[in-house]
Amino acid sequence: MALTITCPICGKRNGYEFRFGGEEKGPRPEENGLTPEAWCDYVHLNKCVAGVQEEWWFHKDGCGLWFTIQRDTTTNLEAETVSMSKLATENEEAEK
Amino acid sequence: MMNRLNHLPTLKIDTAQKISYTYKGKSYYGVKGDTIASAMFANGVRIFGRSLKYHRPRGLYSLDGECSNTCMQVDGIPNVRCENTLLESGMVIEEQNVKGSAENDMMSFMDKLDWMMPAGFYYDVMHKPAKLWPVAMKQIRKAAGLGKISPDFKMPGKYDEVFLNTDVCIIGGGPAGMMAALSSAEKGLRVILMESRPWLGGFFEYRSAEYKDGQSLHDRATELAALVRAQENIRLFTHTACVGTYNNNLVTGFQIGKKSDVFDQRYVEIRAKSVVAAAGCIERPLLFDNNERPGVMQIACALRMAKTYGQLPGNKAVFSIGHDLGLEAAIELHDLGLTIECVADIREDGQDAVLLKQIAQRKIPLLKGWVAAKAFGRKKVKKVRLSSIDKMMRKTLECDLVVASAGVTPVTGHITVALGTLKYDNHTGCFLPDQMPENMFAAGRVLGLNDAMSIEASGTLAGLKASAACGLGSLEEIEKAAKIVEMLPGPVRGTKLVTAPVKGRKSFICFDEDATIKNIKQALAKGFDVPELIKRFTATGLGPGQGGIPGHNLPLYVAKCQTLPDVSIRPTNVRPPLVPTLISTYAGTNHTMFKTTAMDEMQRKDGGIFRNIGVWQRARYFSEDYACKKEIENVRNNVGMLDGSTLGKFRLHGPDALKALQRVYVSDMSKVKEGRIKYSAMCNDDGCVIDDGVVVKLGENDYYFTTSTGRAGQTIEWIRYHTRYDRWDFSLVNLTDSMGVINLSGPNARKVLEKIVDIDISNEAFGFSDYREFKIADTIPVRAMRLGFVGELSYELHVPASYMQSVWLMLKEAGKPFNIQNFGVEAQNVLRMEKCHIILGQESEQRTNLLDVGLGFLWNRSKSEAKTVGAVALAQAEHDQTRLKLVGFKTENNSRAPRDGALIVDQKVRGYVCTARDSFALNEAVGMALVDADLSKIGTRLEIYEDECGDDRIYGTVVKMPFYDPEGKRMKM
Amino acid sequence: MFSKKKPMWGKKTPLKSSYDVVLIGGGLHSLATAYYLAKEHGITDIAIIEKNYIGFGGAGRNTAIVRANQRTQYNVPLYKEALDLWPVLTKDLDYNLMFNNCGNLNLMHSEAAMKAARMTIATAQFHGVESHLIDAKEAKELVPALNISDDITFPIHGAMFHPPGGVVRHDAVVWGLARAAAEMGVQIHQQTEALDIGTRNGKVTSVTTSRGTINTKQVLISAGGYSAALIYDMLGIKLPISVLTIQAMVTQPLKPVLDHVVSSGAYHCYANQTLKGEIATGAHMDPWPNYTTLNTAHYIKHQAEALSEFLPCLRGVRFMRIWGGLADMTPDMAPIMDGDEQVEGFYMDCGWGYFGFKSCSAVGKYMAEFMATKKCPDILKPFALKRYEEHKLMGETAALVNYSPDN
Repeated sequence: MALTITCPICGKRNGYEFRFGGEEKGPRPEENGLTPEAWCDYVHLNKCVAGVQEEWWFHKDGCGLWFTIQRDTTTNLEAETVSMSKLATENEEAEK
Repeated sequence: MMNRLNHLPTLKIDTAQKISYTYKGKSYYGVKGDTIASAMFANGVRIFGRSLKYHRPRGLYSLDGECSNTCMQVDGIPNVRCENTLLESGMVIEEQNVKGSAENDMMSFMDKLDWMMPAGFYYDVMHKPAKLWPVAMKQIRKAAGLGKISPDFKMPGKYDEVFLNTDVCIIGGGPAGMMAALSSAEKGLRVILMESRPWLGGFFEYRSAEYKDGQSLHDRATELAALVRAQENIRLFTHTACVGTYNNNLVTGFQIGKKSDVFDQRYVEIRAKSVVAAAGCIERPLLFDNNERPGVMQIACALRMAKTYGQLPGNKAVFSIGHDLGLEAAIELHDLGLTIECVADIREDGQDAVLLKQIAQRKIPLLKGWVAAKAFGRKKVKKVRLSSIDKMMRKTLECDLVVASAGVTPVTGHITVALGTLKYDNHTGCFLPDQMPENMFAAGRVLGLNDAMSIEASGTLAGLKASAACGLGSLEEIEKAAKIVEMLPGPVRGTKLVTAPVKGRKSFICFDEDATIKNIKQALAKGFDVPELIKRFTATGLGPGQGGIPGHNLPLYVAKCQTLPDVSIRPTNVRPPLVPTLISTYAGTNHTMFKTTAMDEMQRKDGGIFRNIGVWQRARYFSEDYACKKEIENVRNNVGMLDGSTLGKFRLHGPDALKALQRVYVSDMSKVKEGRIKYSAMCNDDGCVIDDGVVVKLGENDYYFTTSTGRAGQTIEWIRYHTRYDRWDFSLVNLTDSMGVINLSGPNARKVLEKIVDIDISNEAFGFSDYREFKIADTIPVRAMRLGFVGELSYELHVPASYMQSVWLMLKEAGKPFNIQNFGVEAQNVLRMEKCHIILGQESEQRTNLLDVGLGFLWNRSKSEAKTVGAVALAQAEHDQTRLKLVGFKTENNSRAPRDGALIVDQKVRGYVCTARDSFALNEAVGMALVDADLSKIGTRLEIYEDECGDDRIYGTVVKMPFYDPEGKRMKM
Repeated sequence: MFSKKKPMWGKKTPLKSSYDVVLIGGGLHSLATAYYLAKEHGITDIAIIEKNYIGFGGAGRNTAIVRANQRTQYNVPLYKEALDLWPVLTKDLDYNLMFNNCGNLNLMHSEAAMKAARMTIATAQFHGVESHLIDAKEAKELVPALNISDDITFPIHGAMFHPPGGVVRHDAVVWGLARAAAEMGVQIHQQTEALDIGTRNGKVTSVTTSRGTINTKQVLISAGGYSAALIYDMLGIKLPISVLTIQAMVTQPLKPVLDHVVSSGAYHCYANQTLKGEIATGAHMDPWPNYTTLNTAHYIKHQAEALSEFLPCLRGVRFMRIWGGLADMTPDMAPIMDGDEQVEGFYMDCGWGYFGFKSCSAVGKYMAEFMATKKCPDILKPFALKRYEEHKLMGETAALVNYSPDN
């Protein structure tokens, strides 16, 4: 298999230039009142989707950006690329 | 030595150029262009080796390496496929897996014992009594395996690698591949064409039949090859086998070098935008008794022996075929002088009329609806029994050659390993491409085509589709090309015959593993009902031939036994490498890579003994005394220098720089003051310490910080990861390689440093934990820190890497009156251990948190708005009394220090020793250990269990940390 | 003696409407659990539900190495028992599992690694498991093909030598356990997919399969790499698991050249010679979750580079076949064995990463005890899911953690 990842800045590149950074779980939770269960859920627990999931990647041998993509874990092919602007809007919404 | 057929236009040999080689200690000659096997065949060799289990004689069967029949030991290299390895001058060739010789193998009696070895028999025997098994196992190991490799074998040759990008990559240099290459190249696209044979032409190359208007197929191949070579945008890789295809159109292979190349073999990895799979066909072996006896060979093998290598494959032949190629070969070989006793054709009808006419003209007896049932001859074929398919009629004919083939089978591995799928096609009886991988297109015989025009037209079509996948070309022209293919003859009907009418005790479905169709029946009877499982149970297809022989027949035979409908017939898996590939070829060039610091050479000159530490090479010792007594005492009593350049060094600046620091460091980083150093640590979300270092403030929103050597590579992604949702505005620069670090330590350090700097470095002006920037000789900018990692007066000088050697030499010169010395990483390790300064990974493990190692004082709890990484976990685990804690200990009764990694035990394991040494400074053995919290109180007695200690124990007592200079006066002096 | 015409694990039977116990996954952990439930606890009304065929997943894809030289006191006794069980099972199953206790040699490439090995060796010895630290020369005597010179990327300082470890024929274990379980009445339903687990009031009531619904009060998911996805899908329980594809490969068969299992953490590589003579080698995982089980061009090349350095004679040998399987990795490299906790009657046995084969015999025994008695055996207690939220990782790996996928 030859993974390729589409970096929002550098375009479609060899997957080994990147580092995987986990399932997308949303921004860091507030510390106050965070139960061990909720903490564990954020830090450790995964859905392990066999199918398309949103996930984080870091372009380590490239521009140094963290970004998310949609990837099908059963084929290792990207399903859709998420632009940074979309991500930014989502974050703004999340912050509200 | 046999006289070669000369003057054939198809020949790839030059009989004028002799090549000498050694076979079993004797000298022989082949000719230029020979493969090892064709040269040996010319010298009369018919038995090349013996089979794995039954030691049956094996000979030339195919010429493309579908089985291990001609695998031999060549120049010490095992399992060389002699049938497609070019002969080279001086080669030393030995037989494999024989006791005695291939001709007379003392193990050949094994062939009679097959009744003792039904499928999977080894699971049912040799384990009772249990004592038997180790003895039996030894014998099995000796008997198994084909070639030999000596443990001290040194592989000769040069191995290279290339990583290429292209628009279209074409696998297969036959007519379809060449047409595809031409049609893509004409669009101006960059094309790579890979062909496993040393020449182009594939299915056309060795045939003299008519292509069109009197032109032979061979001439057409030559013509196409010339067109391909003339295209500048086609990069041609002949003698390059494709070994793997992957999604996203990655293709790998290896190329055999020519004499003029700088490599013997080179690994080729190609990233393409689209791929054309046009690797043609191999033949489907015919299953009958003794179907692998030397003298039995496939159609193309017999034909190419004559047409390519100028040798008639036998004197008197019987053909048992099921494809027009068999008729064509019979005609050609007849015309070259081979006596053909009979051609048995599985097919009752459907043969090409022209070929039938030519057969008749030559008076070659033709039996339709007949097939070979059994070959006779102890070592080589002497006669063959033919049978009508309905078993009603039989006849036996004398011969020394049986050309046997059930039909053709497309080479589809390039499609399936990239996750394309195949479908059983009732018309051809083959597995044909169904779902192609994205941007991969099949062409030629892979599609079941047989007609020359159709093959070429399908190549053109695939080339156009591949071009379209690169964004060039129109739908119209693709449709037009597709129409042409449609109008030309489609795939020919294939024979459905799976086995000759025999019981199959000696009908080999897999040559490499000596698996017969009887074995398959046995597996089925045991409940192994899926071909993949039968493969496992009988090892069919798991040998060096990579499934080339049984790949097509096994699923057909299983389906026949299970009377499955066509739709349920599934091919077995093919796995890469599609062609066995040398480890040296995959490895390519040397990949040993390390970073060295600016001080590397000078430290080596000073006697440094280097070790690989992470991505760096560092001086660990400066003498053969690995306890480093001199180095340590010199730092404690005088002054030493250590190259600390591998330390991670970063600049973090911008409006949100402080926010980022607050996120990743456990301390309150708003308290970092200009001119002062702040020591702090980073945790992961579990609260476990992952890094420690110092932070200094260079200016407003501008920080400089250090990380441990091991973390430097990940620091940027770490900080960016944990701030990825925040869209903070900061810049992070890795200065690790651009800055060097000199650690100048010891009571005389100030006296040395003040000689080369202009500023006041007295303790009052530049005290402990202070940070200063200054220039040496008005030129060299230095960032200096007063730190105390080793527990002495110490300066850490951060210097641009390009000035490192200058500053180092200046210090060395200035230190001469004090006899300044180098010290290495191990001396530093002991020095800091005596101070109980921890090294992460040494005094911590994965699960050790900040509190466990006694660094809780760094943690600021009042900054929850910063969402500091690890803070939640620390708060939740703070009162857990069942964790491991770091303690200092001394040994009892002045006994020696335990070895690092010794356990702390009672009835159970209670912890382990992280670092312990016989301290020269303290004159006693001290160390640090991670122990269960209930053992961490001062005064607790520790029972220490070392590897190989038997009943001996070392005892220690938990003491206060640090051991050396507890008030820290020395580093503050 | 040879012509047993009967299918080894019984004729195909229709799926019943209810079973005492349903085991999802036809791999080794399920088969072993079924075997011990039947043999030691008299529970034989068991259905094994397997989507493909038994041994399709990790059971048939691992490189068959067994050993008991893990790092922590929680793991060592479990693996020791598993190791001790191979000869016992060979006898009890009357099937030659081809245990070749040739010993494992784990190479160490630095002073720090030697220290780490010493801790592991002391732990083994403390638990009565044979394991020794040897120097490079001694390692070379055991494995003459080793390159102990200084001119390689990771020069060999020494090795952890663990004589009782070795290799077991993995397929034989699958078939032997399946046959024995079937003989005791366990039904193995291949080509049958488990689709859902039905619960009522926090209790397991049924399992829905592609061939109908089964009523049951006890269900175990031990479906190797597929477990985490199934458990989340069926019960909404998230696990600290990342499912990676792990690859392995074999060379062409050779006459004996490697008498021990050799492995190296620094090179991410292990190699051993199978009874057939192939050098089986592997270890790499691409560090991103996927269920493809596809091999990579990157890895076969990496593996060749590694072997070229520490076993240089293999440069003259050819790779013949590479394949992949799934490894469900947890942050602390230790499995999750839990049950009757999140949902009554639901048990899980997963997160084995690439250790599932070595442990299967002992784990089957104790999971069977757990399910039969509804009391968690002491030896399994440290492996509960709860440890992650209690901030108590197992310590099976010494290395510092990073963020995902392994935290």
